[in-house]
Amino acid sequence: MSQTGTDYLHAVAASDYKYGFVTDIEADTAPKGFNEDVIRLISAKKEEPEWMLAWRLKAFRYALSLIEDKSRYPRWAHLTYPDIDFQDISYYSAPNKKPKYESLDEVDPKLLETFERLGISLEEQKRLAGVAVDVVMDSVSVHTTFKEQLAELGIIFCSFGEAVQNHPELVQKYMGSVVPYTDNFYAALNSAVFSDGSFCYIPKGVRCPMELSTYFRINQAGTGQFERTLIIAEEGSYVSYLEGCTAPMRDENQLHAAVVEIIAHKDAEVKYSTIQNWYPGDAEGRGGVYNFVTKRGLCEGDGSKISWTQLETGSAITWKYPSVILKGDHSVGEFYSVAFTKGRQQADTGTKMIHIGKHTKSTIISKGISAGQSQNSYRGLVKINKNAHHARNFSQCDSMLLGDRCGAHTFPYIEINNHTAQVEHEATTTKVGEDQIFYCNQRGISEEDAIKLIVSGFAQEILAKLPMEFAVEARKLLSIELEGSVG
Amino acid sequence: MQAPPAPIVARPEDRFLTAFELNEGHTLNGSNARLHGLRKQAIARFRELGFPPPRTEAWKYTNITRVLQHEYRLNLLPVETRLTPDDLAPYRIPGLDAHTVVLVNGRFAAGLSDIGHLPDGAVVTGFARASETHEDLVNRHFGAYAGDEQDPFTALNTAFTLDGLFVYVPKGTRLRRPIHLINLIQAEEDLFLQPRLLVVAEPGSQVQLIQTDASRTAVPTFTNGVTEVFVGTGAHVRHYLVQDAGEAASAVNTLSVYQEGGSTFTAATTTLSGATVRNNVYVLPNGEHCESNLYGLFLGKNRMHVDNHTMMDHARPHCVSNELYKGILDDASTGVFNGKVLVRQDAQQINAYQSNKSIVLSDAAQMYSKPELEIYADDVRCSHGATSGQLDEEAMFYLRARGIPPKEARAMLLIAFARDVLDTIELDVLRTYLDERLDARFHS
Repeated sequence: MSQTGTDYLHAVAASDYKYGFVTDIEADTAPKGFNEDVIRLISAKKEEPEWMLAWRLKAFRYALSLIEDKSRYPRWAHLTYPDIDFQDISYYSAPNKKPKYESLDEVDPKLLETFERLGISLEEQKRLAGVAVDVVMDSVSVHTTFKEQLAELGIIFCSFGEAVQNHPELVQKYMGSVVPYTDNFYAALNSAVFSDGSFCYIPKGVRCPMELSTYFRINQAGTGQFERTLIIAEEGSYVSYLEGCTAPMRDENQLHAAVVEIIAHKDAEVKYSTIQNWYPGDAEGRGGVYNFVTKRGLCEGDGSKISWTQLETGSAITWKYPSVILKGDHSVGEFYSVAFTKGRQQADTGTKMIHIGKHTKSTIISKGISAGQSQNSYRGLVKINKNAHHARNFSQCDSMLLGDRCGAHTFPYIEINNHTAQVEHEATTTKVGEDQIFYCNQRGISEEDAIKLIVSGFAQEILAKLPMEFAVEARKLLSIELEGSVG
Repeated sequence: MQAPPAPIVARPEDRFLTAFELNEGHTLNGSNARLHGLRKQAIARFRELGFPPPRTEAWKYTNITRVLQHEYRLNLLPVETRLTPDDLAPYRIPGLDAHTVVLVNGRFAAGLSDIGHLPDGAVVTGFARASETHEDLVNRHFGAYAGDEQDPFTALNTAFTLDGLFVYVPKGTRLRRPIHLINLIQAEEDLFLQPRLLVVAEPGSQVQLIQTDASRTAVPTFTNGVTEVFVGTGAHVRHYLVQDAGEAASAVNTLSVYQEGGSTFTAATTTLSGATVRNNVYVLPNGEHCESNLYGLFLGKNRMHVDNHTMMDHARPHCVSNELYKGILDDASTGVFNGKVLVRQDAQQINAYQSNKSIVLSDAAQMYSKPELEIYADDVRCSHGATSGQLDEEAMFYLRARGIPPKEARAMLLIAFARDVLDTIELDVLRTYLDERLDARFHS
């Protein structure tokens, strides 16, 4: 006798995080607290030049002024969580060995095991379609592959720390130009204490031959992860960048406040794909990652294009709005998102499309799936500025509810200041159709498989936008998430 | 010589709080204790809330504080009106056979009203008069549906309620003729007016109310109006509001509707002129099998600012709601639509639709749209759509290719766009009247 749909959905909602384990690598952790000493410590540890420290300190003072005034935290999102004590967090941790390996044999076997258990071993990755992996584990880059190959084309793909050392002129020119440290509280926090991240520079006219990817992991109890990514695409270049995340099981909340900045010059194209699967907390909502991310791209040049694709399945709290500023004429911004929440997860995610240039175009497609007692919100802004003649936007936000104790919400903001603009927005909220399940049942497909089929069909439009290897992983992930304890 | 004392910079709130203190027990006595109690509660609430500061989410695109900086005069004493029924001719709707009620500066003008014959038990009269003649009914319903917990404007109106309109339709009674409320501003001073409307439709009854807002003055005025509607089990209520009070008249209009099971409520608001106009519509279908329809048409010109704010609160299962708001914005006008559909937990089997479409005609015009869905039940069908654009070039081409001059083609398309909303009006006379107003606007 097969389960009923309701039973199955309850099982899904109750299922455990499948990637919960802790890698036991000794860490070099800064004492808890947000103060100038910590900033100086981080900067010193990373042997940073004076200008970098000065920038951090400016951001620190700004962030500190906000910490002291709670009313200035961004609390407008449809999220409930206790106030975070920013003084009770350690802002730096690094694996105590700083290995620079040329071959995999030298890498700590435990680390390799971690990745193998995640099903994304480095060997496999290296073989599969030549993906260069810049592994960021607890904030310090420990392994970079394919670097030489990329260097031949003039592409710089390295950790943020290395870029500060080796390409200071680029970092100084672009860091903070899209997300200034005064942008919001979490951006300020990140700018002050960011540990490491990725840096990517594609020279003029170069088409990056492989997908660049970084795996972020949070691995130390009680340490926040503060990544910073900077991608610069020069005129006529192209790059596809992948970011994927899983995190071990934790009982206390881990704070994650990343900043991603993308600059696309004339006719350049940047495609940024994310899979986010951090620990969402247990069934009662204990633990889980607090994910406050500022991601923004600037279409600086005419004809440039920035595209965000994301699959969000993890984190207890997701606060994330990958945005595009369409400054160049004829520039294009895209946002494709699938957000899946279950248990007591809360997600408030969406995008901002700021049209400044003429004939700019943006597309937003967002699919939210909520189960259990989770809350899933789409929040997006489409702003057509006064001089953005003939701007065009299309937005579609669909929500699906799997259960009667979860919530699905849509909060779009549409601001039109130019009469030649054409903006369309539509949103729907429904549950999995009983007629669809019945149709599947008739053909011998079980309730469970039917729901999987319908949900993946619902998300298919977005998953298809992911690069091939990622799409496979994403489908697998979504299906595992749905399977719950049944699978 | 001593320097004159520095002027006291008062918050707009303080003027009202002082006025309340001075008049409580006199003009604001309230002939009955419940009314008096409600007033005191409401002013305390208002003191707490204050007017919405500029960054309040619900007032994100309308800076009402700026409008309220103007020192409007709060006139609490009745003034004899010198108007005669002939003066009302421009505000009548041609061919309309209705129970006509006239409010002048928010006060019931018995001499100008022509209520005519009503079915047994039905009441159509001024609010102040009703609170004496029908004290029980007023006590039971007044303040019961317009929640002031979050809304300073409702609280303010409740604290200062003096007069307005009262409608009571007994159980099973159908008012064949609509009620036409002419809400007229006649002032030489910058008045702050707070009319209060209470419509009670007992189970199984039917009533239609047309409200036309008009003004005979060019001085700036502010109307903070509140309308409470009770729709009993299986009752049908329609509320048509035509706002045309001229370019100096600002208004915050709050319509709070409470529906019992199986009832139908329809509101259609047409905004033709105004300075800053904000329309709040709160509908709570608190029973199963309710139908709620909210329609709106706003035509912006010059520096007009129109903000439509709706809240469809689906607290009970098996209900249907429709919302359609359309706007045409010309010159330097601004349009805002913020509609929220809330489906509460266990309110299953809800079908809720919301649509907001606007045409922006000029470079200086602006449109802000924020349609929201907040859904806590799974077995629902909810959708919203919002579009904004200019006139369809292909449609223009089609008409031009058939020899229609550009001005006329443009008028045809705009009228067709707006007529979607007017077509929902079931009262032929009113629809024709508005059609003509539309023609006059776009063919000129």
